[in-house]
Amino acid sequence: MADDAAKLYQAFVSQDPAAAIGVIEKVKRSGTEQGALFDSLFAPAMSLLGGAWASGAIDEYTFTQASVIAEQITSFVTPPATAQDTGITVIVGAMHRDYHAIDKNIVGAALKEAGHRVIDLGVDVRPAEYLERIEETGTRIVIVCASMNATANEVARVREILTTAGLQDVVILVSGGPFEADPELARQVGANGVVRGAESALKLVERIARDRQKAGA
Amino acid sequence: MADRSQQLALAEGLARQGHVQPAVEACYQALRIDDNEALTHCLLAELMLTGDFYDEAISAASRAIEIDPDCAPAYLALGLSYDRRGGMWDQSILVWHELAEVVPDLVTAHVQLGEAFAAAAFDDEAIDAWRKALELDPAEARAMYNLALAALKKEGMATALPGFRKAGELDPSQDDLFFALAGIFDDGNPAPDPTDVAEDRAARLEAAGALAYEEDFFSAAELIRLVLTENPDDPEALGLTAYLYLKQEAVNEAMACALRALTISTKTPTAVYALGVSFSKRAGLSKNAARVFAALAKAVPNQPMPHVLFAEALLGLQKYGQAAQSYRRAIALDPACVRARFGLAAVLLTEGRHAEAMWEIRRAAYHDTRRQGLFWQLYDSYVEGRS
Repeated sequence: MADDAAKLYQAFVSQDPAAAIGVIEKVKRSGTEQGALFDSLFAPAMSLLGGAWASGAIDEYTFTQASVIAEQITSFVTPPATAQDTGITVIVGAMHRDYHAIDKNIVGAALKEAGHRVIDLGVDVRPAEYLERIEETGTRIVIVCASMNATANEVARVREILTTAGLQDVVILVSGGPFEADPELARQVGANGVVRGAESALKLVERIARDRQKAGA
Repeated sequence: MADRSQQLALAEGLARQGHVQPAVEACYQALRIDDNEALTHCLLAELMLTGDFYDEAISAASRAIEIDPDCAPAYLALGLSYDRRGGMWDQSILVWHELAEVVPDLVTAHVQLGEAFAAAAFDDEAIDAWRKALELDPAEARAMYNLALAALKKEGMATALPGFRKAGELDPSQDDLFFALAGIFDDGNPAPDPTDVAEDRAARLEAAGALAYEEDFFSAAELIRLVLTENPDDPEALGLTAYLYLKQEAVNEAMACALRALTISTKTPTAVYALGVSFSKRAGLSKNAARVFAALAKAVPNQPMPHVLFAEALLGLQKYGQAAQSYRRAIALDPACVRARFGLAAVLLTEGRHAEAMWEIRRAAYHDTRRQGLFWQLYDSYVEGRS
């Protein structure tokens, strides 16, 4: 790998991005994973570059130009900035007559960032709209946000309408202050779990997906 | 009249030295002599606020404003008291509005106004107020932190995180960490003229550090070049170079120098810092940044900023719970760390703990205005304006 790092360094100072990509492709073909390329190839090459500048082997101009080439090929050696598509679709929405969007926005964005497909129904979502989108998309996970007692109790209507439609297997996760304050409330409204923030949503969705995979669903 | 002035001067002197209780007593004595002196009421309000007696602070500041509606420091004390007391957002909005009118170029008034609007759920008005603050001062870190929080509420952490990092760069505390790691402290003397620096490594490095502190990056770089010409494998010189490149937004050059320094010696904290910051500026390198900042936090556990930087890297990895722990560590080390408080507020928002998030923002506001010495700035200008 040291040889490859030296070649990559050489490509930088020769201002030859094609040669740099060639070195990266060769290392990839030899079995190095994308996630390991930065540490095992790019970082040693950059260290050589820093050393060459420090010793005066290359001048300031070459150092800057080489850094530009390094910039151009960075995306080839870094893990993808966005997570890969997990194939899991999650519907999020705030309950009918509930206009509190912050929790929903944050949870939805976190799931999206983790590679899940998020369908955001917005705020003030009627139970029938959840059903409609579930039927339309085949989604099996729904996160219903409710920040007031009255709207939290109304989540029971979402479960009711899904059951009536024969969609008992849809997992309803609830989020919001009333469910935090009363751990029994989630069960009463027919929810399968309580989301306590973005990280909790990520963990729950992953667990559900894992369980479904195990069950072969 | 002479008695009143003497008592007020005494109260002022004691308050400036942080002797709260005797200063309060002196204020009351001054008020017994003259109850219509806005300055005394205003000073009393500030002292009450320091002691967390919010109702008393509100009453004293209100009285000062009643006596003189142009008493700017009283508006500051009143606004902060309303905010700290909580649940008085309508009054708070009015006060910050007034202060922004009395001192239109006071950036903090707009920042505070924005925070009061946000607390009252007037999100668009809040954003306008923070933008106004940034128009007045593009380097206003707290306005940037608030805008990042607003982005978090609407679009989530991935959108907010670059804002936090940008705000962090405006915040002088991150540079302070670098200089602490490099052993460079402000001794009050100006940096030497590069042509007068003795021709040895230690003198050149010290002078380069002092020049970097004064943001004379080119002179600093010239001195470091001399050090590296004599020994290209000098890790401290490379660490300082990496910092200079970072300050000029040359991330890859910084990364190259930091990596070279660490190849020579892994125990070069300045290079560790520069490497971590370089990584944090690259999408997809949050894991690398977290690893580097974790090492830095372990190497200098008593510095709050490495914990903050580590926490921000964790946010990029969606490890919000761990990030909260790291922010809390930073706050335990420095309760006035505004960046850690805003970061913690962000994590709390991701957990749906809005009230606690607001509390952290209020604490950040309190410490930020203290750090700036804003009350005394307004107080002194007010006294000057009256004479």
